[in-house]
Amino acid sequence: MTESATELDTPDLDSCVRIGSIVSSNSHLDYVVEIFKERDCDRPPELHEREFGQPVFIKKVIDGTEHAVMGVIYDTKLVDPDQGRTGPRLAQDDQAQFTPGYIEERTTLAGVALLGTAVVTDDRTIADPTHRMPRWTLEVDDTVYHCPDEVTVSFHTVDGQIQLAYLDRLIDIAGDLGAEVIVALIDRLRRMLPEDDPNQRVLDVVEQNIEWQAHERRGVV
Amino acid sequence: MSGKQSVVGTVAGPGEDPNEFVFVTPADKSIKTGEFITYTVSVDGENRSVFARVTNRELIRGLPDGFLADPEVGPDTVAATLGVPTDDTELYRLTATVIGYYDTDMTTFANPRQLPSPGTPLSIAPDQQLETVLPNLGCETDSADVTELDGTAHLGWLLNRPSEATNIHIPIKEFASTHLAILASTGSGKSYTASVLIEEMMRPGSRASLLVFDPHGEYDSLADIQGHDAFQGEDGYDPDVVYYDPERLRVRISELDIGDVMAVLDNPSNRMQERLSTAWRAMQRRESRTWGVDELINEMEARYGDDDASVGALEWRLRRSIERNDLFHPEDNVPLDEIVDPGQCTVLQMDTLDRWNQQLITTVLLRRMYRERLDAVRDRDSEIGHPIFALFEEGHRFAPASGDAPSLDIMRTITSEGRKFGFGLGIISQRPSKIDQDVLSQCGTQISMQIKNPNDQDAIKNSVEAAGEDVLRELPGLTPGQAVVSGDAMNTPALIQVRRRRTEHGAESPDVIEAWREAYDQRQREPAQSESADFGEGDSTGVQSLD
Ligand SMILES: Nc1ncnc2c1ncn2[C@@H]1O[C@H](COP(=O)(O)OP(=O)(O)OP(=O)(O)O)[C@@H](O)[C@H]1O
Ligand SMILES: [Mg+2]
Repeated sequence: MTESATELDTPDLDSCVRIGSIVSSNSHLDYVVEIFKERDCDRPPELHEREFGQPVFIKKVIDGTEHAVMGVIYDTKLVDPDQGRTGPRLAQDDQAQFTPGYIEERTTLAGVALLGTAVVTDDRTIADPTHRMPRWTLEVDDTVYHCPDEVTVSFHTVDGQIQLAYLDRLIDIAGDLGAEVIVALIDRLRRMLPEDDPNQRVLDVVEQNIEWQAHERRGVV
Repeated sequence: MSGKQSVVGTVAGPGEDPNEFVFVTPADKSIKTGEFITYTVSVDGENRSVFARVTNRELIRGLPDGFLADPEVGPDTVAATLGVPTDDTELYRLTATVIGYYDTDMTTFANPRQLPSPGTPLSIAPDQQLETVLPNLGCETDSADVTELDGTAHLGWLLNRPSEATNIHIPIKEFASTHLAILASTGSGKSYTASVLIEEMMRPGSRASLLVFDPHGEYDSLADIQGHDAFQGEDGYDPDVVYYDPERLRVRISELDIGDVMAVLDNPSNRMQERLSTAWRAMQRRESRTWGVDELINEMEARYGDDDASVGALEWRLRRSIERNDLFHPEDNVPLDEIVDPGQCTVLQMDTLDRWNQQLITTVLLRRMYRERLDAVRDRDSEIGHPIFALFEEGHRFAPASGDAPSLDIMRTITSEGRKFGFGLGIISQRPSKIDQDVLSQCGTQISMQIKNPNDQDAIKNSVEAAGEDVLRELPGLTPGQAVVSGDAMNTPALIQVRRRRTEHGAESPDVIEAWREAYDQRQREPAQSESADFGEGDSTGVQSLD
């Protein structure tokens, strides 16, 4: 956050950190992303750049117009192919790349829920955000980018008002961690908005509602 | 039936009670509880408009309460943030009780004995139809121009509808024959409503013979109806308003019952009671109706001797309670022909009389008038040849539940028998629970206004069978001038706004602040000496008079 305001007023979508690539999907809105490691790219994401609740985007050209399909990391999972095996390993470390489609090394997977879409403008930022369900399907190996907070805010701003209209869909996908991922998103938005922005109080009410519903669902209250 | 009515809701199914059904309306069709709605059913092969009253309204779909967490943030804003559409999202479930269809032969409501089936469209009942069928006007159609009818009192309009949209004209003959009760907490508009009724009864269409027993002087402004345009008849009719001030209120001693006398005497012993009764009866058998305490004592002395101790004690008591009370007189009596006349409203101003005297004069007057009405109906000589209607402010004072008033007996007699003899009573009271239950339950028409006291609400519930629970629930929330009208004058109870008087209202509460300031100024103008001299305070810092 500290690095945001000064030099990155309008972050360039092309220079965003690559987080990983899509390996599979559970449904139309629910994708599995394998997080990049040293070997996969020049600058793999740092831990805080692919944390729980991190907004992400995938670039797609639709009918000649470039779009950003927006998503959020709502879950992560570690995969260790060695787990449960005994004895020495048969495969060499660098053999993994010859067996595409199989994860044969230690990997971090992230669940990404799609939130909506926006148009990518000529100056490499976004416009016309919509929280309606994206109609397009992503593909295996599509690159998933870290979404800078400024872009996150503009994706959430419709007519000057903060919106999280995808909320019920996100809760459906994220399941048990739905409330937490929303609270993480709200926190992020709140940090970006000025203290006296009227949207702050609206976000408070939304957060309270979400947390209360989660408590109810979990039988706390 | 008036053409197309817009549909406001759809029946969902039966409700809890056998006469109840539930229906659903969207938010923009705002229907209040108490509203009258209609639907069409076929009864014996004929299509009937059935009326129903909305009794409850609840939101079944709307924004969750959690959206209201911050008073500075509107729920619509929260909804917009979450992408929830807020236009026309609310749905209401309403409960309605079937009143019935208007049976033009019976001129009242008949129960169709079947609930509307789910999906039946519902409309708001048209104004003119309601004006015709809600009051007991006996119309032979279900949509008439009720302003054409004579003998009705325009009391006000339905509270749920715009001002003067659905006017309620109640039949005067109903409440004037089977009695009326106007019940409400103080300041809710009882006297105002009574004055509206008096005005209506004094109009050329009715020309009533009215009496108002007014212990507080609240009817001073009624005189304005004399000479007022709205009250003139084409034939030269002009109502009279006669004020009877306390100086002219007299009770002829021979009109008193032995019970009345006992009640005014101070603790008479058994022997005294016995002697007085015997003598009193003897006096009443005499030809002369004009005797006083002297004659009565002569009679007792003749019977029991000059030096009888009981007679001596009675003499002392009688002189103190009767002779020294200006109300009683050996000869003078209130002449009935002065106080009752068609087209005349007589206000008996009793504000300077104490409670006992108010009760006694009322007792004696009611007895005399009842006797005359009995004679009139039985074709005997009578001073009152026409029906009369008497209104009582502070009704609980004359017919108290405690039984502690000489007037109670005659009030009971008139409320239970008066209908046959053309003698109607109107009981006005702010304490329904303190009115004798027999008297209250005989009042066939009720105008109930704001009542908060639970005892008084119960009293109304117990004695007013016509007003349903759902209507009575409204009582605590009413504001001055709003009333529930129920009983004989109505086919079904209705919540109304009582209309404004044609003449000015005289019973405004005095302005305390003004009175204080005036009294203070008055004090300032008085000479200052007396005060400082009286208290001898040399260093008084009180404000001194300047003159
Ligand atoms: N129908 C009405 N329209 C307009 N104002 C009304 C109406 N009814 C009552 N009010 C107002 O309410 C005030 C109180 O009414 P009113 O004197 O009739 O009360 P009340 O019930 O007789 O009180 P109390 O028990 O003190 O005699 C009136 O002075 C008048 O201003
Ligand atoms: Mg009054």
